[in-house]
Order: sequence, then C-alpha cells, then structure tokens
Amino acid sequence: MTTVMIQEARARGTVGIFTQVMDAAQSAAPDRESAAAALEFLGEMSPDLRGAAILGPAGEVLAATGEEAERWGEDAAVLFAAADGAEEAPVEQVHIATEQGEVFAIRNAGLAAVSVTDRFSLASLMLFDMRSMLRELADAS
Amino acid sequence: MPPKPHRILLDRVSVYADEAAAFMRRRRISRRPFARLYYPHGRSADHAEDSRSGAELFVAAGRLIEVAGKKGKG
Repeated sequence: MTTVMIQEARARGTVGIFTQVMDAAQSAAPDRESAAAALEFLGEMSPDLRGAAILGPAGEVLAATGEEAERWGEDAAVLFAAADGAEEAPVEQVHIATEQGEVFAIRNAGLAAVSVTDRFSLASLMLFDMRSMLRELADAS
Repeated sequence: MPPKPHRILLDRVSVYADEAAAFMRRRRISRRPFARLYYPHGRSADHAEDSRSGAELFVAAGRLIEVAGKKGKG
C-alpha cells in the first residue's frame, strides 16, 4: 500500500517537493545522537506524545521512537506527498485529527518532523515545540 | 462582615476552573476529524474527509498512528 502511494506520488511529481523545500543552506544534517536526544526531550515536554520521528534533508530518518524507524520514514514521505499534492504546493505544517489520535508534521530549517499524539492535544503548543526542536537541531549542526 | 481575602481568591480560582472544564467539554463534543494544511505566509486549508486529497491525508495519518502505537514513547 505504501509502495503504491509512493508510486502515485512519484507519478504526480510531488515526492520531489519534499527535498526541494529543504533549505539549501542546511546541507549538513544533524547527527543521529543529537536527533535522538531532541526527540527524547520532545517526549518529556509533551505528555500526549505517542511517537515521533525526525527526518533529514533527504527524508532519511535521523531518529524515531519505537523500533520501526524505516516505517516512520516511509509513512512520513507518504504524508508529505499527500499534503504537497493536495494543492500542488509544498506545505509547511500538517495537522490531522482523527478518532484514533492526532498527527502533526512540520518542515523547518531543512529538516522535518512528524509526531502522533492522543486526541485533543494542544495543536499550537505541539507545533511550536516541534518547530523549536528542528530549529535548535539545525543550529547545532 | 466582608469575606476573608483568601476566600475571594479561592472563589475566583474555582470559577476559572469551572470555566476551563466547561470549555474542554465543549471542545471535546464539537471537535470532529479534520485535515488542515498550513502553507508559507500563514495560509491554511482544510480538506474534507470525503475529498480525494482529504482521503489520502487520512490514510497517511492512519498509518502513522498505527506505527506510533497506542502507548509508550519507545
């Protein structure tokens, strides 16, 4: 299913947008240890957080919660492809609220982050924390 | 005899707490699933669940929720 959606996104030419949006000045991705530490800190700040991942400039997973880092990368790529394809324009932030939980995604400073929280979490706070995390990671690298 | 100052303070805090609880109740009832995209310069757009783009977003979100699991932060 993921492969099919990625293929569809490729056919529409929206997957490329993921990397095009990345800031060219941010060529050096942060190391994985810094990303993992940032993710842990995000978890401490956000009690509603179920899981999250930080993606590098090329969409590679720098850090992820749980044991399925590869899947985080694939599913985040599908989400960004669907979001970019909605209006054929690169998105900055995504917020999707479902009955099962809420999904946030953000691009900042050449990096991207996705997170999943419980329902009714405070969106502005979550996005603010994610943006700050990416900015600090980019600055440190 | 006027009420003691700490009573006034307690009453005020109690009123604020009631208001906050009511707000949260209303919010829980009124919130429905949605997909909202934010673009540069502050523009945002909602995508209905039954639209093509909305359906893709909800499928993608569902997969992420699945990989995150129900509990634990890894």
